[in-house]
Amino acid sequence: MINPHPGLPELEYLKPASLEEASKFLADHAGEARPFSGGTDSLVRLRDGVWKVNTLVDVKRLDGTHELSFDPKKGLTIGAAVTMNKVAAHPDVLKHYPVLAEAAKSVASYQLRNRATIIGNICNASPAGDSIGACMILDGVLNVHGVNGFYAIPLSNFFLGPGKTVLKPGDIVVSITLPVPPKGFAGTYKKLGRNTIGDLSIVGVAVLGYPTGETKSGYRFRIALASVAPTPYESLKAEAVLAEKSITADTIAEAALAAMDSVTPIDDVRGSARYRKFMVRNLTREAVTEIWKKISK
Amino acid sequence: MGFQRITLTVNDLVETVDVPTNMTLLQMLRDKLSLTGTKNGCTAGECGACTVLMNGEPVNSCMVLAAECESAVITTVEGLAKDGKLSKVQQAIIKTGGVQCGFCTPGMLISATALLARNPNPTDHEIREALVGNLCRCTGYVRIVDAVKEAAKM
Amino acid sequence: MANVKNKEKSTSVIGASVPRNDVYEKVTGTAIYTEDIQFGNKLLYARVKRSPYPHALVKKVDVSKARALPGVKAVIVGADFPNKIGLYLKDKNILATDRVRFIGEPVAAVAATSNEIAMKALELIDVEYEELEPVFDPVYGASKEAPLIHPDLGTYQWPNFIFPEPGTNIANHFKIRKGNLEEGWKKCKYIVERTYKIPHIQHVPIETHGATAMMDEKGKITLWASSQSPFAQRALIAESLNISPTDLRVIAPFVGGGFGSKAGVTMEAIPVALATRCKGWPVRFTLTREEEFYTNFVRQGLVITVKVGCDEKGRLLCLKNMMYFDGGGSTEYGVNVTRAAGYSSSGPYDIENVETDSICVYTNHPIGGAYRGFGMSELHTGLDQAMDELAEKVGLDKVEFLKMNTVKAGDKLDTGMIMHPTGVNQCIDNVAKSLKWHQPAKPSSPNKLRGRGIAIMWKAPAMPPNAGSSAWVELAEDGHVTVGVGGQEIGQGTFTVMAQMAAAALGVPYENVRIAGPVDTQYSPYEWQTVASRLTWSMGNAVRNAAMDARKQILDVVAQAWHENPEDLDIVNGVVVSYKTEQETSLKNIAIYGMSKENDQGWIGGPIIGRGSFMPSYVTGLDPETGQGTRSVVHYTTGCEGLDIEIDKNTGQITVLNAAASFDVGHAINPVLVKSQIEGGFVQGLSSAMFEEIKLKKGVMTNPSFVDYRIATAADVEFPIETPFVEVPQDDGPWGARGVGEHPMVPTIAALGNAIYAATGLRLPGPPYSAEKVYLAMQDAGIVK
Ligand SMILES: Cc1cc2nc3c(=O)[nH]c(=O)nc-3n(C[C@H](O)[C@H](O)[C@H](O)COP(=O)(O)OP(=O)(O)OC[C@H]3O[C@@H](n4cnc5c(N)ncnc54)[C@H](O)[C@@H]3O)c2cc1C
Ligand code: FES
Ligand code: FES
Repeated sequence: MINPHPGLPELEYLKPASLEEASKFLADHAGEARPFSGGTDSLVRLRDGVWKVNTLVDVKRLDGTHELSFDPKKGLTIGAAVTMNKVAAHPDVLKHYPVLAEAAKSVASYQLRNRATIIGNICNASPAGDSIGACMILDGVLNVHGVNGFYAIPLSNFFLGPGKTVLKPGDIVVSITLPVPPKGFAGTYKKLGRNTIGDLSIVGVAVLGYPTGETKSGYRFRIALASVAPTPYESLKAEAVLAEKSITADTIAEAALAAMDSVTPIDDVRGSARYRKFMVRNLTREAVTEIWKKISK
Repeated sequence: MGFQRITLTVNDLVETVDVPTNMTLLQMLRDKLSLTGTKNGCTAGECGACTVLMNGEPVNSCMVLAAECESAVITTVEGLAKDGKLSKVQQAIIKTGGVQCGFCTPGMLISATALLARNPNPTDHEIREALVGNLCRCTGYVRIVDAVKEAAKM
Repeated sequence: MANVKNKEKSTSVIGASVPRNDVYEKVTGTAIYTEDIQFGNKLLYARVKRSPYPHALVKKVDVSKARALPGVKAVIVGADFPNKIGLYLKDKNILATDRVRFIGEPVAAVAATSNEIAMKALELIDVEYEELEPVFDPVYGASKEAPLIHPDLGTYQWPNFIFPEPGTNIANHFKIRKGNLEEGWKKCKYIVERTYKIPHIQHVPIETHGATAMMDEKGKITLWASSQSPFAQRALIAESLNISPTDLRVIAPFVGGGFGSKAGVTMEAIPVALATRCKGWPVRFTLTREEEFYTNFVRQGLVITVKVGCDEKGRLLCLKNMMYFDGGGSTEYGVNVTRAAGYSSSGPYDIENVETDSICVYTNHPIGGAYRGFGMSELHTGLDQAMDELAEKVGLDKVEFLKMNTVKAGDKLDTGMIMHPTGVNQCIDNVAKSLKWHQPAKPSSPNKLRGRGIAIMWKAPAMPPNAGSSAWVELAEDGHVTVGVGGQEIGQGTFTVMAQMAAAALGVPYENVRIAGPVDTQYSPYEWQTVASRLTWSMGNAVRNAAMDARKQILDVVAQAWHENPEDLDIVNGVVVSYKTEQETSLKNIAIYGMSKENDQGWIGGPIIGRGSFMPSYVTGLDPETGQGTRSVVHYTTGCEGLDIEIDKNTGQITVLNAAASFDVGHAINPVLVKSQIEGGFVQGLSSAMFEEIKLKKGVMTNPSFVDYRIATAADVEFPIETPFVEVPQDDGPWGARGVGEHPMVPTIAALGNAIYAATGLRLPGPPYSAEKVYLAMQDAGIVK
């Protein structure tokens, strides 16, 4: 970064017409070509010279990438070309997946969200990805097209490290499916940035809660955390506390503490590891309390 | 390096342009079409000075490849005034005094125009939310927010 | 006689909030900024090879491979331009010669037919360095142990009011010794001593620095630059290139924000130097946002220790101020920031005994330059939090404490200068009233803490004693007026205010006055620089004088033609009227062709051009050992700000509920512009108080982008800001006006710090007062669990 580049490096831009063609090209040019959707991560990385990629393969013309639909049985499907703003404003999302709308709306700015996509956010695999936690606690499954055709992979098995996923050369995520949320659920996303809104998260806490007969407490909570581990992270320990013990203010505090103890944040320009740990605890407590009030009525 | 020929509509005029594939929409507007009203403040999607309407919605033109703009309909600040008359937001920002150095102004006007199109009566908070991607270092945003409220009344 | 009755109306353009005269261009996208100028396909693109080391010797720079790259038209290195350059202390080169002193310092530059080729050429430049031990701390840097960053300091040039200490890293040491501190402390009942560390911050104009230069085949150079200082740039760059200033023409189109960063010379000399090596080719250099962050002038970091004492009633007696400014690798401009902070180091307080050491230290950090406030924000951050603490110790209401201790007309200031009338106490009252200071305020929920803070400030224009302004006023056939000025419109509205002043002085409607722009050193009249909040006052005087001169010429002609006495004539709404004979004639009948004598017996008059200039003549030198002298500065603008805040106990996040800012502007020529400056300056101050810091790790800026260096957005300032202003006239200001461009961001950090204290009982050592710092401090103090 001593000599930052004023513009994008030389590159090719392809608009393949079919998934087969796109997957084949990407597989044949591993390391040189990448899928490209909204470009809000890709163009920044290309200009910074972080990537040595010389070809962008636009996925926005491919079959299924513009789908945004809700099926009462199957759930919600969001194509790879669907922008954050479209997701956040869609009536079915607002009705059945409000936590996702809330998370999507917390990303950057309105104009950036007109380009940025949920799939891009997921594939970019940043621990700070704001929409990822909501997709995780909603049990999202990615529909991937690779050189050998389609396959599905749950989000819980998708991330390997910062910027790293299980995707292989040629793999294109066509869409994500989020099953219909459990009955009586409520969810929220608490994002803490340096500014009121618009910053990347110092900490992000996505919480979903619902009544269930399967736990001792009679409730199940899902808690996903952003910017506090090498990958987007679900705190199973905190969830276990809320499943095992009857839910009181003390239980919630205990779960929040468990969340805090389970994370491994780093110091960076946005915040210190120490602050992040406290914020995981406090925001988890705040979010769970809020959801608990809603679902226990 | 590759070039692509694209045809698009810019401020109601149809243009056919040969663009290098690493050219952004911002560079195309400024360097190929001499529409220098749209500004570059960061080339990274952060400041909003480059905001234009693409198919009716605001985008950071530094974050869009020109090659992606085949058949797109683009409106820049130069396209806001119609038939010799300033748009409501333009009139309002003059009235409230929301312009200082003016470098953020083109992007602000586009974001504000888009906001009022989707929400004709925004609250103070909604206005600020909608302008979060448009940085201004001069005004403290006070009179820019006032201008959007004023335009909503016009 | 309709026009005579309108006399009131025509002079009332002073004090009227007329719309800005550049606003139509700015809202339609037709306003031309430097980057918008089209040069056709001959335009070359410049890129700069920068130092990756904070401190190193440059052993060898090999540009042969870069020169051979097709598309490269010029490559330059430091040795090509050996002359030193600098506004006050000449300690910089256009490109580093034998040594690099901060990460990002230019070492070589390339002009090529595209940015891509220029970038490739940079990779082909081989630079051999020998690393030296760096200095990252100004206090250590000032010590004898620190390695020398400018071993040749003694050979540099500087003006007689800067005091470098060759053989050390001290580039300027400004001292004040007033009264007897030792005796004074004995009389003090209460004493507070604190150290504050204020980080480097960046100006962040939304338009980055940009400049295009071309040398024609005759050897004459034109520079188009986004600039606050076309004349200073002409002088400094010409000197460093060994050419005559008028062989360099600087054209300065609209500026997309400056805040001090576009004053003096930063990167503009590079395209000029390149252009001298490829005659006939325009060379454009535009900083990327990243370069804007880490290679450009910064606001210097400061370590300030304030010790202040008062008697049992709370009357201030003693102040000791120790300031170490982190000047960076070069202090050519920064030395004067140190001086300004030094001579103003008592703040607007009346204190008998003052001792100040304001020291500018070379470090291997980015270069410090002018920044809105010019040392005053940094000073007041320490000073006004210490005052708050002292008031608390005495047990006095803070508003009362401040008002009791402020300087009044006739007081002898820390430099020995006698204070002029000022409205600082009215400003304090205004803020206290806006914030309902004396009424209790409860937090909105048990999870919040609430507090109010207040701080005052002063600032003088910081400039050489004899910085001058000039202007001309010309009439056209239609009686309309064009005003030539050399001060720059950088958003503050100066073109509008100058048009108002010319209209009022001449007696024409505001709408009939235009400003000759862009500023162009080839025809615009001289102006020192657009800095120091000095234009309304200094350039305003020049414009007023020029308009009065034109007015006199007009009235003399008409008086002669009408056989009247000029004293009986007036110009009202663009019409010359006689109060005696009730004759009248429009300016358009006179302006160009003059007036015919009776019976067609010839003509009198002719084209009218008025001229005016202004230069303060009364500023004296100060004693190098005591800082005492008759008149240290031209005047002080004073003011006060206050904030009412809540802190979230869960996160440490600060929410501002209400804010107030009040300044004594002498006379508000255009109240909306005054208020706009105050609103914008307050928010910039608040942004620096809450978010901003150049994070330097071993000399590397780790946050050089908007993603990592946050500034306030519209959503961060969702609260009312009240800006009632005060008007105690300035004796030598046009219509009594003085400047207010910088002042609104000066007291904000201290006011916020004091509000945080009121809410939490905690004093945080240095800004930015981020949610994290506030939270962790509350955690450590046991306020939250
Ligand atoms: C100024 C700014 C602010 C930002 N703020 C935030 C924020 O607050 N919160 C946040 O979470 N993010 C933020 N981001 C990051 C970014 O906007 C999001 O990650 C966005 O969702 C990425 O989506 P995209 O479609 O633009 O991705 P792209 O850039 O198109 O792609 C991102 C990555 O995913 C890969 N990819 C894209 N599509 C596919 C596909 N179909 N199959 C396989 N791989 C694919 C690409 O190769 C690339 O590696 C910000 C970015 C910028 C520039
Ligand atoms: S230039 Fe596009 S967002 Fe800054
Ligand atoms: S008016 Fe200057 S940045 Fe907004």
